[in-house]
Amino acid sequence: MPQLNPAPWFLILVFSWLIFLALMPPKILTHQFPHEPSTLTAHKPKANSWTWAWQ
Amino acid sequence: MTMNLFNQFLSPTFLGLPLIAIALMAPCLLYPSPAPWWQSNRWTTLQNWFIGSFIKQTLSPINTKGHSWALLLATLMVFLITLNTLGLLPYTFTPTTQLSLNMAFAVPLWLATVIMGFRNSPTHALGHLLPEGTPTPLVPILIIIESISLLIRPLALGVRLTANLTAGHLLIQLVSSAAFSLLLSQTTAASLAVGLLLLLTILEIAVAMIQAYVFVLLLSLYLQENV
Repeated sequence: MPQLNPAPWFLILVFSWLIFLALMPPKILTHQFPHEPSTLTAHKPKANSWTWAWQ
Repeated sequence: MTMNLFNQFLSPTFLGLPLIAIALMAPCLLYPSPAPWWQSNRWTTLQNWFIGSFIKQTLSPINTKGHSWALLLATLMVFLITLNTLGLLPYTFTPTTQLSLNMAFAVPLWLATVIMGFRNSPTHALGHLLPEGTPTPLVPILIIIESISLLIRPLALGVRLTANLTAGHLLIQLVSSAAFSLLLSQTTAASLAVGLLLLLTILEIAVAMIQAYVFVLLLSLYLQENV
């Protein structure tokens, strides 16, 4: 199996971690989530019964 | 001739340059950083929704100390799911079929969770090696078994991803070559093979996404245990 060839193993490790640590996180970090989720203040809405408007 | 089928997994090089580096850059190129505008475009909104809901789901069972892993888990998820799904396109190379890459991620990250656990609460971490309510005569054997299961986790993590993706790609290649070779002589069999290929491709898309998710989920579970 060519995957078991140990020759490129170290290079692949170095490359993948380099990209994983240096290039990907800035792209994920720039995403902003303006609505902070807060489980403490969230309350379940009252269960209103719902039906179609024409019935 | 079966060895020919595995040639698709040979880490590609061109004039001595490893092309796996370009394959690994693909996720970075596909996700442009969001602009600081209130209303972002569809792609950015989709990413934002995905990352937000994924992190909310993954981190809710973990206590606050483990939340510092949020960026790492989100990056890992996006990275793996992109690499896996891109590899399903024809003529692309899937870096996650390489055992080296998967072990390169599995071993350090698992080791990080274990070291964190042993540093913060060593008794609690060691306590995981003996389930509650074990009968006394079974204690030594069970500790050995639990230690082995602990040590086998990174191996399982890496090999699971590798094997799933490799097997999928291999099956696709097998069935498609069968369909192609039968196309003129036995067209009915070839059309059945094409039908199978369609189902297989749908399965592989699902497997690509699920395996990336399972990798990150298991890591978050190991983190949960140790934090």
